[in-house]
Amino acid sequence: MKPLAWGIGLGILAGLAIMPFFVTSYIVTFTIQIFMWIALAGSWNLISGFTGYVSFGHVAFFGTGAYTAAILILKAGWPWFPAGLAGSVTAAALALIIGYPCLRLRGPYFAIAMLGLNEVVRALVSYFEDLTGGGSGISLPPILSLQPVYYAMGGVALAVFSLTYLIITSRFGLRLLSIREDELAAEVMGIPTARLKLYAFLLSAAGPGIAGGFYAWYASHIEPLGTFPLLTTITMIIMCLFGGKGTVLGPVVGASLLSIFQELVWARFLFVHQAIFGALIVGVVLLMPKGILGVLQERYRLPRTI
Amino acid sequence: MSNQSILEIRHVTKHFGGVTAVNDCSLALEPGRIFGLIGPNGSGKTTLFNLLNGIEPCDAGEIRFKGERIDGLPPHQIARRGMGRTFQIIRVFPEMNALENLLVVARGDWDAASRRALDLLAFVKLDRLKREYAGNLSYGQQKLLEFVRVLMTDPELILLDEPAAGINRTLLNDLLEAIRDLRAQGKTVFIVEHDMKVVMELSEKVFVLDHGEKIAEGPPGVIQADERVIEAYFGR
Amino acid sequence: MPIYITGPMLLQGVVSGLLAGGLYAMVALGLALVFGVMRVINLAHGTLLMLGSYTTYWLFALYGMNPFLSLFLSFPILFVVGGVLQKVFVHRVVNAPELSSLLLTFGISILIANLAMLGWTSDYRSVEFLTGSFLLGPIALSKPRLVTFGLALAITGLAFLLLNKTKIGKAIRATSQQRDVAQVCGINVRRIDLITFGLGAGLAGVGGSLVSVMFSIFPEMGQVYVFKSFLVIVLGGAGNYPGAFFGGLILGVVEGLASLLLSAQLSEVIAYMLLVIVLLVRPTGLFRGRI
Repeated sequence: MKPLAWGIGLGILAGLAIMPFFVTSYIVTFTIQIFMWIALAGSWNLISGFTGYVSFGHVAFFGTGAYTAAILILKAGWPWFPAGLAGSVTAAALALIIGYPCLRLRGPYFAIAMLGLNEVVRALVSYFEDLTGGGSGISLPPILSLQPVYYAMGGVALAVFSLTYLIITSRFGLRLLSIREDELAAEVMGIPTARLKLYAFLLSAAGPGIAGGFYAWYASHIEPLGTFPLLTTITMIIMCLFGGKGTVLGPVVGASLLSIFQELVWARFLFVHQAIFGALIVGVVLLMPKGILGVLQERYRLPRTI
Repeated sequence: MSNQSILEIRHVTKHFGGVTAVNDCSLALEPGRIFGLIGPNGSGKTTLFNLLNGIEPCDAGEIRFKGERIDGLPPHQIARRGMGRTFQIIRVFPEMNALENLLVVARGDWDAASRRALDLLAFVKLDRLKREYAGNLSYGQQKLLEFVRVLMTDPELILLDEPAAGINRTLLNDLLEAIRDLRAQGKTVFIVEHDMKVVMELSEKVFVLDHGEKIAEGPPGVIQADERVIEAYFGR
Repeated sequence: MPIYITGPMLLQGVVSGLLAGGLYAMVALGLALVFGVMRVINLAHGTLLMLGSYTTYWLFALYGMNPFLSLFLSFPILFVVGGVLQKVFVHRVVNAPELSSLLLTFGISILIANLAMLGWTSDYRSVEFLTGSFLLGPIALSKPRLVTFGLALAITGLAFLLLNKTKIGKAIRATSQQRDVAQVCGINVRRIDLITFGLGAGLAGVGGSLVSVMFSIFPEMGQVYVFKSFLVIVLGGAGNYPGAFFGGLILGVVEGLASLLLSAQLSEVIAYMLLVIVLLVRPTGLFRGRI
């Protein structure tokens, strides 16, 4: 990357780092949300944007991470930060269990399998009441300060962003791309597609796992309906699509822009909000399939790796 | 069938629903020569190739590559054992540039692969287009790209599915030169082609399929005169 | 989980399952036709079913129309809706990568479901028309389920008649098997796409009408049916339309037994595991089919 880009990037990071000390807690809260969405949309990008395998149940990893952290904090007395990180472990384990069989299938079959995953995890959470508190969920002590969560969630967003960049500029990333472009040809050329898809899937589950883990602490209360909603999946997807799937900056742009939009419309008009997201998905797929970044890349002949 | 064959197909059969695409087909390829596979449309040539690659499983029979059974193995493992293939419909990766198309299939050292990729691009005169998206190349350029992509992994057996289709005379001559070059390097080439001139010019031995069955095999001159072959192409 | 499972209980589970299965089969056929002809997985299929349910509900609540008669209206209405969706949106992604059609139909389903929520609120509705059961020996045959099963069977039968005996039906089958060959034979595949999508939507709508007699109606009700329809298709074998019928019955029975032996909640998990297992072990379906 050019020195100018590095400079701007570091500048933004520095600004974000000191921001909590100078702005209202409303802005801090809002930024925490954006960080979370960057982590989620960016992680969805790793599997769906890079390999073309659409994951409709990705929020299952978020919920799994949230429950893992909550249970560890409440029942095992873990401090919140490691509990949050542990969210990635269970999420990745779930990804392994589901991914190993399902990624051997072609795209549409995988998508359907993922569609059901969310419901299944939610059903399991409700069933194992003793552990998870069933329908009423788990309550944690309220947090005293926003700043640690701000930096934690910011860290996750940064990690996902960096991971995306590392992958897209690596041989692994190029191979993932070949899976998206023409999986059969890739296989016939000797690329072990099933294994690579699994790796990408595992990596894509870790981010939501940790984000969920920190979210549990941040929200102080989680229950099945709130942690596994379809809306989270929809939002993840539209943010990544709108910004530009398969790119590095796409999820960041999409998450930021749509979070602002969400903030303006959300509180009052939930169903309008969801309907608009639905319409937006339709619009992006038909009119702007490569998202904002895609449009910019074509217009200004930008490299594929941004 | 001698043990020196690089590829042996024994009594291979493949059904699709009610249709038998390949019927009890057996043949053997000796290493280091160029073989042709011809037959009227729908005779099962591409299906046979798909079976060799592991894209489709056989319903019956065995396939041996370098003496070991490969039927039932997934395509990427067969590829890694030294078999390469091009497709009837070009399958380059459109959103990657020409260089990346070659790099993505390489194994081993990245730098060595880069050098090899650049050499191969130069070989087919595509080196100035190395940063161009493969999707933006012309038909002939894409065909050449696919051809050298197969060579990136240095396979011992190369399957070419209609390499001459749709390319002009000059490019065709370059391609034929390249194929002869491969043979000189000791590689085995198996070509499916409709262009009779190309097949007869290049191949040392030709196999003929009709309705999934092998109806003839032999040197080009003999095949051209074979009654069954003429019947298969021109009807009774 | 009941400690003591009797023969009759098991039989009851199986019978109830079969009755439900007939409905699943009919709804799945709609999805299978669209997938077969256009290679599009219509994730909005469940939403179309939901619209069928609401059609029946409003006809019943506002005009007192017999829900079983409303089928004659919900089919054409949903056929038209499906046609419009195909013409305006879906036809653009018929040749695009699968990702596009999945996302597009997903977006459409979200849009329609939320418009429904805005228009009709997310209150649960129901159509109280037929209740109670027949007793056949030790088995209780729920009346609505029985009638629904019969109608689903009849409609599925009609659909198969259409597919096998009419010119249009044969054109649909030809297009789904070999699209380019069909085109060469003079079949207007774009028109077939349109008709098939309408047909699929119509079947979903009728399914919804039948569901409305048995279960609660609410905007998100369709979600689960897409998944189950797909499961049915996988069980029967993609492209194998008669197989889908048996796939539906199998799903119904498995669900019924799982509900009986475990709990209703876990029956979803069981259905899911069934999907994964079948996809791994016999992706071409339990019957002869092709992917």
